[in-house]
Amino acid sequence: MHNFGFALSGAWQVLLAGLALGAGLPILFALGIRSLAWGAGEASVNPSGVTAPGPRRPLGTATGYLLFAVVVLGVVLGITFIVAGGFGYKMSFEHIYPTFIAK
Amino acid sequence: MILALVVLTALAFDFTNGFHDTANAMATSIATKALRPKTAVALSGILNLVGAFLSVEVALTVTNAVVKIQDKTGAPKAELLADGGNGLMMIILAGLVGGIIWNLLTWLFGLPSSSSHALFGGLVGACVAGLGWAGVNWNGDGSKLDGVVGKVLLPAVLSPVIAALVAAVGTWIIFKITAGIAARFTDKGFRWGQIGSASLVSLAHGTNDAQKTMGVITLALIASGHWSDLENIPLWVKVSAAVAIALGTYLGGWRIIRTLGKGLTDINPPQGTAAQSGAAAVILASSHLGFALSTTHVATGSVLGSGLGRPGATVRWAVAGRMVAAWMITLPAAGLIGAVTWWVGDAVGGMAGALVVFALLVLASGAMWLRSRSGRIDHENVNDDWDGSPDLAAVPTPVPAVAAN
Repeated sequence: MHNFGFALSGAWQVLLAGLALGAGLPILFALGIRSLAWGAGEASVNPSGVTAPGPRRPLGTATGYLLFAVVVLGVVLGITFIVAGGFGYKMSFEHIYPTFIAK
Repeated sequence: MILALVVLTALAFDFTNGFHDTANAMATSIATKALRPKTAVALSGILNLVGAFLSVEVALTVTNAVVKIQDKTGAPKAELLADGGNGLMMIILAGLVGGIIWNLLTWLFGLPSSSSHALFGGLVGACVAGLGWAGVNWNGDGSKLDGVVGKVLLPAVLSPVIAALVAAVGTWIIFKITAGIAARFTDKGFRWGQIGSASLVSLAHGTNDAQKTMGVITLALIASGHWSDLENIPLWVKVSAAVAIALGTYLGGWRIIRTLGKGLTDINPPQGTAAQSGAAAVILASSHLGFALSTTHVATGSVLGSGLGRPGATVRWAVAGRMVAAWMITLPAAGLIGAVTWWVGDAVGGMAGALVVFALLVLASGAMWLRSRSGRIDHENVNDDWDGSPDLAAVPTPVPAVAAN
């Protein structure tokens, strides 16, 4: 049952990578949305029933877009990863920032 | 001449592969109305086309995972070429027919089953019939994850679980984070999140699945002596396979999209984002690690996971159970069809055999297409409520698609 061992060790790695990217990026994205909403200020309903926007919070808006940028960067890395693989290159993260090495 | 039939059948398989798998990328975006149905399939089709061209990596050894008709370099085994390659081509043809018929049958029932497993099943069946049990690579040689067990069975069990776990965790945390935020922020934000992540899945699908057809066609070309380069794939093969999978995707397997988007669980945009990101990450990570898995199993697992992760969501376990049942019989069923096809082709023999097989394929496909006209599902009713609609998998009598009005 050598295949079973290979499958389990492979599955662990896929699960870890999947959690880091597949759950991590959407979580950052959700945090970005939360920041944007916070940055737009808290709306309040005044006694006459009219909704009035609260004071804006630029810090929240900035953080929101920063988080979106991180997510977009992650997606761009993902696409680069596919393309590089197709052209016979492998992305390496041993220098932390991605570098391409021929397979 | 047999070669022409094999090429045509391989492209037909690629086409069914496309429309069978549109759902994997786009079912959630269609269900949450992040994209209009037609826009979604067009986007997915284009990305599949682009993806197919991006994958220039030679996929010539694709059949080695499950059967023993090629050596390690991708050249067909010498003993199979004794008759000018006709025997080998009959095996490939029968295998493809097994894959296509199983794909169409599962589509008719609206079940998202794996196209790769259908192809592998068909090839395994045709090899058992043509070469005997020893013609199949059952368990690999022990050096890596390989063979029917390592490339098909184990990943089929593990990948939906992994994807479900990732999507469930993602969904659960997203709902914690965004609780109490005005809908105008979450709706717009997650709409883009969904489109982005679904696009990534489409692209990855194009790079993975179109390759398989390219590999099979090139194998047939080599077997018949029309191509000898083991490092490259003829350009026309690449173009035609890419176009076939893109057209298939654009046609859209609406029945499967409906099952995945509406049947399994009711999806909203944050869930769709989590499900599709999870699927994209798992597909990319596993193809990097050489862990062969089916896009379909991953996408289904992640949709299920997003249903489990959202507080208060219900998962229709009866639908999920039917899918899992379809997955389990995909390999043997496609294998059986492949084997029967090979026996028929072999009994008639030669060119006539290949023609008979091809005619049978056309007949079977036509019959299933006609059957699909009753109770049809297309881009207009794909999003109708699941409960109370006619059950696809249990329609003893045809249901008129349009009531008299």
